[in-house]
Amino acid sequence: MIRIEGATLTYKDGTTALKDINLNIGAGELVYITGPSGSGKTSLLKLLMGVEYPSEGEVLVLGQKIAKEEKRRIRRLRRNIGPVFQDFRVIKGRTALENVMMGVRFLGFSPKKMKSESLNALEKVGLKHKYSSLVENLSWGECQRVAIARAIIRKPALILADEPTGNLDLDNAVSILELLSSLRDDKTSVLITTHATHLIDNQKDAVFIRINGGRITMEQGGRA
Amino acid sequence: MKSVLFNMGYFLKEAYKTIRLNLLSNIFSFIGTVLILFIFALVITGWNVSNRLVLMLKEEAEISAYYEENLDEIDKDNLIGLIEEIDGVLEVNLVSQAEAYNRMENVLGNEAGILELFEENPFEEYIEIRIHLDETERVIDRIENIEGIEYVRDNREILNRIEGIVKTLNMAGYIVTAAVGITTIIIISHMIRQGIYENRFQINTLQLLGASNSFIGFPFLIAGLLMILCGGIIASVLTVIAINIGFGQLSGTIPFIPLPPKNELVKHVVVIIMTASIILGSGGSIFGLSSIKEDAER
Repeated sequence: MIRIEGATLTYKDGTTALKDINLNIGAGELVYITGPSGSGKTSLLKLLMGVEYPSEGEVLVLGQKIAKEEKRRIRRLRRNIGPVFQDFRVIKGRTALENVMMGVRFLGFSPKKMKSESLNALEKVGLKHKYSSLVENLSWGECQRVAIARAIIRKPALILADEPTGNLDLDNAVSILELLSSLRDDKTSVLITTHATHLIDNQKDAVFIRINGGRITMEQGGRA
Repeated sequence: MKSVLFNMGYFLKEAYKTIRLNLLSNIFSFIGTVLILFIFALVITGWNVSNRLVLMLKEEAEISAYYEENLDEIDKDNLIGLIEEIDGVLEVNLVSQAEAYNRMENVLGNEAGILELFEENPFEEYIEIRIHLDETERVIDRIENIEGIEYVRDNREILNRIEGIVKTLNMAGYIVTAAVGITTIIIISHMIRQGIYENRFQINTLQLLGASNSFIGFPFLIAGLLMILCGGIIASVLTVIAINIGFGQLSGTIPFIPLPPKNELVKHVVVIIMTASIILGSGGSIFGLSSIKEDAER
């Protein structure tokens, strides 16, 4: 599902965010990427999303090579990825339902199917009753749930969550992590970056990857 | 295509939101577009009327040929026949002394009394020749070389001036058309770019979710087209009002100006303005949409 070989990411300003990363993640894995702020967690997710391209090495996501010349294909690749952002990236002035629908608008769903699938996704994240609420009237935890619903409505093969608990209180953070980890199944892998290691200590069957200074310093766990 | 059809309501809603987002700025852009299209419509109207006038003047371009005094009626008929055969000659008429006198009386109007000072009719008999304006030089040369023709009086200076006016009007028309086109494209593309800038967060999010640029840009294209089409409609209405007022005034004060049929003119101008609106709106929107690619996706 994800194969990274000797990938280095150096930004235009010369900052090297990732150095010689090697990683293999199979289908149906739950992966926690931990590390302090500025360690390269978000840069790794940017590489996997095709927002950045490796300066060296190779990155393959769902069989798609991440490279500048593959820009169009990368855009299509993203349709199989469910991204969840730290800042939610929900669109203000739109309802929760409209935000969720935004995840599939360009996938050729009929309006009827789009609405029913979006309501189902909102139900899965426990927010169906607030489908008509404008997102600016929702709490941060609820906004994150809307973002998760927007990610899962596409039934993606890969869910990438970048610090999904970063802006949340403890209860909400635990609840969001539980929700995200529950999305893992045989076809769907879930990658979550977080610096809140205390929240994931009790996770079973998960892969834990620690990044520091742009390098993978530890990798452990996995399905029994 | 399916995405476009299924999302038409969404696109229209987004287009409306784009226009609303920068309402004041877009109102100014809209007013600017209406005024530019209105000016364009007036230029087209003027062009149309002047073309018709020039066409008429071209058709009315005529020269006078004076022949030797000793020619009898048969010689005159032969002369007329020879002139009629020349390419560029539209019509040939013999104007008698009496007719020449009457015409001058008509021209002088209230001042015609001055002609009574002459004991005899001072005008000569001549051949009046209507010619094609573009063939003036060649036709005059040919007529001057016909045996029996004493001299040819032409209005070459006036005819040349008419030709000059035609060329100037055409040039001015082309310049105004180009200026209108460029200005409209700039206004619309600027409006679209502004909309894209204001919506960069949403655009970037859609890009991260995997939407294509054409899907993302569609509402902006609709917004640009809607703005300019509305601008075109208002400019057309203003032009129709202006034409009505203009026709009323011109036909009353300068009755000899050959105005084209009003309905025909209105139809012609409205069709051109609406077609130009669609073309310029699409062009401006597509030009503006190119800024989506520059969006800070990376």
